Amino acid sequence: MASLESASASATTTTSDLSIDEELNLHSVGWQPVDLVSGVSVFSVSMGIWNWGQGEITGATKAHENAFSHAIERLQRDAVRAGGHGVVGVHIERSVHRSHVEVSLVGTAVRPIDAVPIGPDKIFTSDLSGRDFSLLIAAGWQPLGLAHGSSFVYAPRRQISTVLAQQSQNIELTNYTNAMYVARETAMERLQTTALALAGTGVVQVQVVEGPMSFASHAISFATWGTVVRLRGDAHRRMDPQMVLPMNDLHVAFEAATLQ
Amino acid sequence: MSDESNELARTTGHRLEELEKGLFTSDLSVNEFLLIKEVGYHPLGFVMGSSIYHTGIQTRKWGQSQELTKLTEAMYNARELAMTRMEDEAAQLGADGVVGVRLDVNYYEWGKDAAEFIAVGTAVKAEDGVSRLNKLGKPFTSDLSGQDFWTLLQTGYAPQGLVMGTCVYHIAHRGLAQAIQSTGQNLELPNFTQALYEARELAMTRMQDEATQLGASGIVGVRLEEKTHQWGSHTIEFLSLGTAVTKTSNDVTLAKPITIISLDN
Repeated sequence: MASLESASASATTTTSDLSIDEELNLHSVGWQPVDLVSGVSVFSVSMGIWNWGQGEITGATKAHENAFSHAIERLQRDAVRAGGHGVVGVHIERSVHRSHVEVSLVGTAVRPIDAVPIGPDKIFTSDLSGRDFSLLIAAGWQPLGLAHGSSFVYAPRRQISTVLAQQSQNIELTNYTNAMYVARETAMERLQTTALALAGTGVVQVQVVEGPMSFASHAISFATWGTVVRLRGDAHRRMDPQMVLPMNDLHVAFEAATLQ
Repeated sequence: MSDESNELARTTGHRLEELEKGLFTSDLSVNEFLLIKEVGYHPLGFVMGSSIYHTGIQTRKWGQSQELTKLTEAMYNARELAMTRMEDEAAQLGADGVVGVRLDVNYYEWGKDAAEFIAVGTAVKAEDGVSRLNKLGKPFTSDLSGQDFWTLLQTGYAPQGLVMGTCVYHIAHRGLAQAIQSTGQNLELPNFTQALYEARELAMTRMQDEATQLGASGIVGVRLEEKTHQWGSHTIEFLSLGTAVTKTSNDVTLAKPITIISLDN
């Protein structure tokens, strides 16, 4: 697997996709960017599993979970080689196809200014932007890693007679609602399990992608991820924000929508 | 209906138990998370409710403006189901309220007229241990963002609940003679204007009734949405949504905002 990964960039130059503002923010809390790092993983799914069955589609779930954790591992190995202590601003691109699941991560490795490299077990990954990372550090918290969970569940079809009987009624479709609940609960539980494994006390900026997929209308997918955090010191530091009123004119363009 | 909603709530047991051990999950951004801590609240968990609902059929008269009560009921009940399930989860966590609530309707390929109604938000609890439950003894709900929540509390108001009103309305088509007559003229179309007014009023009034039930003194952040969903051009849903608030403290010293000019665009 190591052969798939790029050789380490020279340590003298810094590459990062952070904006100048974000770099300034990082420096203000004593951190610096090191290198742009990435991790990609593609897992195959057997095509026949999508449409008929009951309960969870374990093949798809496993592929998704594996793709996610392998991509994170590779990203972190890349970051360790670059001498980073963590990766921030990770862009997550994931796609589920009939035949495979793909997860690709790109982010910027960072470390406390002039810190020595650390081992791969202590490194963190986070999809927080450089500015959010700085804010979190300033408030006395630290990111621990990316928590993720997913679940694919079959949504049972209704019988023709039921469809006809319900045609003109206002009624809840409990079979679909239940499938949605199963997918959601399983995925969220997995998210929490990975968060607890990282010894986190919270997960912020949890993102959710849910619903049936275009190629499998009777399967519900639920995928979720977020950054695991915990208090670094003993107490949360208050930020005491001040109210400001920008006096720039809002740029409003006149727009006449045609009446239809 | 409440039996069903309890049953679904029971399947969430394990996830919520884990949250009670001290891990929190939240879809708040870092900004919002820090601002909520700033006003003395701690997030407890990402709470959700959803319902996949089949809306019935109602015949419309081509030339008559009228409310389609069956569709109104469907849109209201389905949202109410999702909201109640979300509130149940929050109550189970011992939350004082839910902030950043989002209500969505998603249409999928499960069949015509079936839609997923979903409510998500972050359950929060006051760190000082004083209960902030609303007048009905339930956790308050609010669609305010973390930023707006912080600002609202600065003014001495507290949210009581997310209130909504909806009205699905069929707007009459114009007769051919009418259409020909008005061709080439500048003129108001009173039947259209009247219909839109009536539908909007109905939705707003229903929202205000909900706020009155909560003993609220006002509704902030009201949004009025007009959607045709999948009903074709002359049937419109008017949905009004806002956060009902009450005044909780009178001695408020509002910080004077510092005026700034930002040098970037």
